[in-house]
Amino acid sequence: MQWEELEKEAIRCIKCGACQTVCPIFKELEAESTVARGKVNLIKAVIRGDVEPNENFSERMSWCLACKACVENCPSGVKVDQLVIGARQKLVEDKGLPFLKRMIFRIGLRNRRLFDFGLGMGSVFQNLLFRPAANGQGMLPRLPMGLDKRRVLTPLAAKNFTSRCSEINTTLPEEKTVAFFTGCMINYVYPEIGDAVLKLLKNNGSSVIVPKNQHCCGTPAYINGDLSTAKELAKATVDTFCDLEVDKIITACGSCGLALRNEYFEILSDELGYKEKVERIAEKTMDIAEYLAQKGLQGELSQVNKEVTYHESCHLGRGLKVRKQPRDLMKSVPGVNLQEMKDPGRCCGAAGSFSLSHYDLSMKINKYKTDDIVNTGAQVLVTGCAACMMHIKDGLNQGDNSQIKVMHTAELLAEAYKKDK
Amino acid sequence: MDSKLVERLKKIVGAEHVFDKYEDRYCYTYDASFITVGKNEVPELIVYPGNKEEVAAVLMLANEHKIPIIPRGAGSNVSGGTISRNDAIVMVLTRMNKIINIDRKNMIAELEPGVITADFQTQVEKLGLFYPPDPASKAFSTMGGNVAECAGGPRGAKYGVTRDYILGLEVVLANGQILNVGARTMKSVAGYDLTRLFVGSEGTLCIITKIIVKLLPLPEAKKTMLAIFDDLYKASETVAQVFMAGIIPTTLELLDNIYIKSIEDYVKIGLPVDAEAVLLIEVDGDAAVLDKQIGIISKICKDQGAREVKVAQNEKEAEDLWVARRSAFAAVSRVRPTIIGEDCTVPRDKIPEVVKKVREISAKYDVIIAVLGHAGDGNLHATILTDERDHEEMARVEKAIEEIFIATLEAKGTLTGEHGVGRAKGKYLHLEVGKEGIDLMKALKRTMDPNNILNPGQMLGE
Ligand SMILES: Cc1cc2nc3c(=O)[nH]c(=O)nc-3n(C[C@H](O)[C@H](O)[C@H](O)COP(=O)(O)OP(=O)(O)OC[C@H]3O[C@@H](n4cnc5c(N)ncnc54)[C@H](O)[C@@H]3O)c2cc1C
Repeated sequence: MQWEELEKEAIRCIKCGACQTVCPIFKELEAESTVARGKVNLIKAVIRGDVEPNENFSERMSWCLACKACVENCPSGVKVDQLVIGARQKLVEDKGLPFLKRMIFRIGLRNRRLFDFGLGMGSVFQNLLFRPAANGQGMLPRLPMGLDKRRVLTPLAAKNFTSRCSEINTTLPEEKTVAFFTGCMINYVYPEIGDAVLKLLKNNGSSVIVPKNQHCCGTPAYINGDLSTAKELAKATVDTFCDLEVDKIITACGSCGLALRNEYFEILSDELGYKEKVERIAEKTMDIAEYLAQKGLQGELSQVNKEVTYHESCHLGRGLKVRKQPRDLMKSVPGVNLQEMKDPGRCCGAAGSFSLSHYDLSMKINKYKTDDIVNTGAQVLVTGCAACMMHIKDGLNQGDNSQIKVMHTAELLAEAYKKDK
Repeated sequence: MDSKLVERLKKIVGAEHVFDKYEDRYCYTYDASFITVGKNEVPELIVYPGNKEEVAAVLMLANEHKIPIIPRGAGSNVSGGTISRNDAIVMVLTRMNKIINIDRKNMIAELEPGVITADFQTQVEKLGLFYPPDPASKAFSTMGGNVAECAGGPRGAKYGVTRDYILGLEVVLANGQILNVGARTMKSVAGYDLTRLFVGSEGTLCIITKIIVKLLPLPEAKKTMLAIFDDLYKASETVAQVFMAGIIPTTLELLDNIYIKSIEDYVKIGLPVDAEAVLLIEVDGDAAVLDKQIGIISKICKDQGAREVKVAQNEKEAEDLWVARRSAFAAVSRVRPTIIGEDCTVPRDKIPEVVKKVREISAKYDVIIAVLGHAGDGNLHATILTDERDHEEMARVEKAIEEIFIATLEAKGTLTGEHGVGRAKGKYLHLEVGKEGIDLMKALKRTMDPNNILNPGQMLGE
């Protein structure tokens, strides 16, 4: 790709400055170069030859959560996230990835079995390296390992989800058959969300296929500009899922869903023979909440007495426009009381690997979210994205609010069903 | 810039509020205007002061070293008012963003210049009060920028513009002196009206560090309606008719077909894309009288040949119309990449004549000119849709703009109703204010800023 290819999109920015209202990064860093208008104009400047694509430029391109707040708010509809990702791709092409990301994306992510093994081993060794945090909410690093020592992480699962559940899970009566794309966070960190998804689907008349050889959707690599890794992962996912005889492909993570439904068109645009397959996948992909909301929760629902508040993950809300469905579903469960927080769509600051590379900044952004959560007085924070869950847990913990439980929408809904079907 | 000087500036405002990297500085070479200067005019340094003392200290230093200062709020002005130059310090006032107090008994408020207009409005409205000026950019423009440009907005027809709400200001002059002008009372004739001089001074006379505004009671209710016309001329004639019937609508916006189509394309709320013009009209006040007013206006519109009149049935429908209106400027940018929003303003009764003239000019120079007027206050907003990369077309655009200016002045109007002179209109200012006017303005500027450090090159072109 060439810088010039970004020009067509970049020139559509009329520099009105509306993005200043919504960019969480700009709110912290205050310089014009950190808001969407600034980043787009820096990209234009590189194209024009006014700015070198150097370290400083690269740092400014790294200051983006890909939260799409600016995109949604932009009167001209400039796809700022795509521009920033495009710039990152160009930087990776020219200068390569930083060491840590190279290790993760190129060596870890690309090789599913090595990845499984690494994360599996990780779960054994992590007790040596981490100590449990308060109220059973995750763990703290014992040693500085490139991770911030204050940081509360959720431990890796002893056994990942796809290897501990069966590949075919039938239900009776069977109305539909669906495939479940778990995504990495559910597969390796929060397998209990996977259990909840299965339970929900089965209780709602869907048999579920969980392909064993599924892998990362590719989003982390794509967002960081590592297009070649993203392509490999996208192709693997498409190949695994496109020929399954299922009615739908269910995701339970906004970023995975967005990848399968939208971003593969971009990622695989120049891959021969993939256009039709990508279309097929995109058409079938649905978020779990979106899928269940079509008919509403079926069967007998038991009482779940909880005061909850809901965080709209960026990729689920602004990305897939799934906003109303999770709320409607929760409200349909007897006993659940949904208390809206001030700004449910504001990014929690996690943004995947952004929280690894810019921990302090991502925690400052997280603080608004945890304050808004605490102000609702809710006992449980519900969201549709496991990465947000981890980051919000961390923030609640550090703010001495570990009594507030963090759950995936699917987990809360699954509590309404007594039996696994 | 001399590194010692940079160190002193960092001491004044705090190192974390100074930006000296080239990539950061580059991002102040543009604002929301069509002017961009690029690498030859990258400013020397960016400072974000946190209070008036810091502002004063920076100005004193700059004055001593004769370094130009470019004041900046959100950089949303459309006249090039914050475009940088390579010898300048850009001073951004957004850190000074506190609402100091809202005084319900006296119905006034005091606030810092970095407060975002819409945030301020939300806060006063919670208390049942009202700050009417509503530039379409209110979600991101700063109050300091509004004062410095004397911003207006759709509500201008009934409520006037920023200047009508500014009772007093605290400002820092070029030499670092801190000065309070105006009063906290509704009336004051103590000396020359310096407040009015500073309102609309576009950063050339002072830095505004505090604003005292007057507030109104929040109107109880409002009603919004849309009148659809097959004839642009008829629609524009309707404007004066409404006022002549004794009704002052809060807003009366005229949108032509180019705007209607591009907005509908963008927000999809069911605007009639085949109509030649629509009038978006809002009335506010006591709920009891609004239906009657809307009824009278509807009748006038129909008598004038409107093919349909739609009254928003609830808040959501009304808000949809306003969202559509607010996105207008950007929606047309989908048609062509460069948007030049003119804001010539004429007496209300001259609108039909000037609209007709604009159509002729558009045909004569073969450039797309859309019209979206705050017609209630005569502000036409002829919008030129073009492409800055096409030099041949840009030459025609320039000629077209000049003819619009002349038509405006012939209709006894003004070259800029609310966007300001900035860099964009400096060379035309004499057409309106005459040589004597320019001379007096220059003399004032020299007295108040002898070293010409405050936003030099703006407005008066020197
Ligand atoms: C989409 C869009 C819609 C718009 N709609 C309207 C509209 O309806 N009506 C309207 O009037 N304008 C409108 N504008 C123009 C613009 O928003 C206004 O001019 C606004 O007042 C600028 O505020 P700002 O904070 O962005 O100031 P800036 O653009 O940063 O600065 C504007 C001027 O004020 C000076 N300045 C800024 N702060 C200070 C200070 N504290 N002390 C001294 N000088 C200062 C600057 O030097 C400059 O000359 C629109 C702009 C856009 C992009």
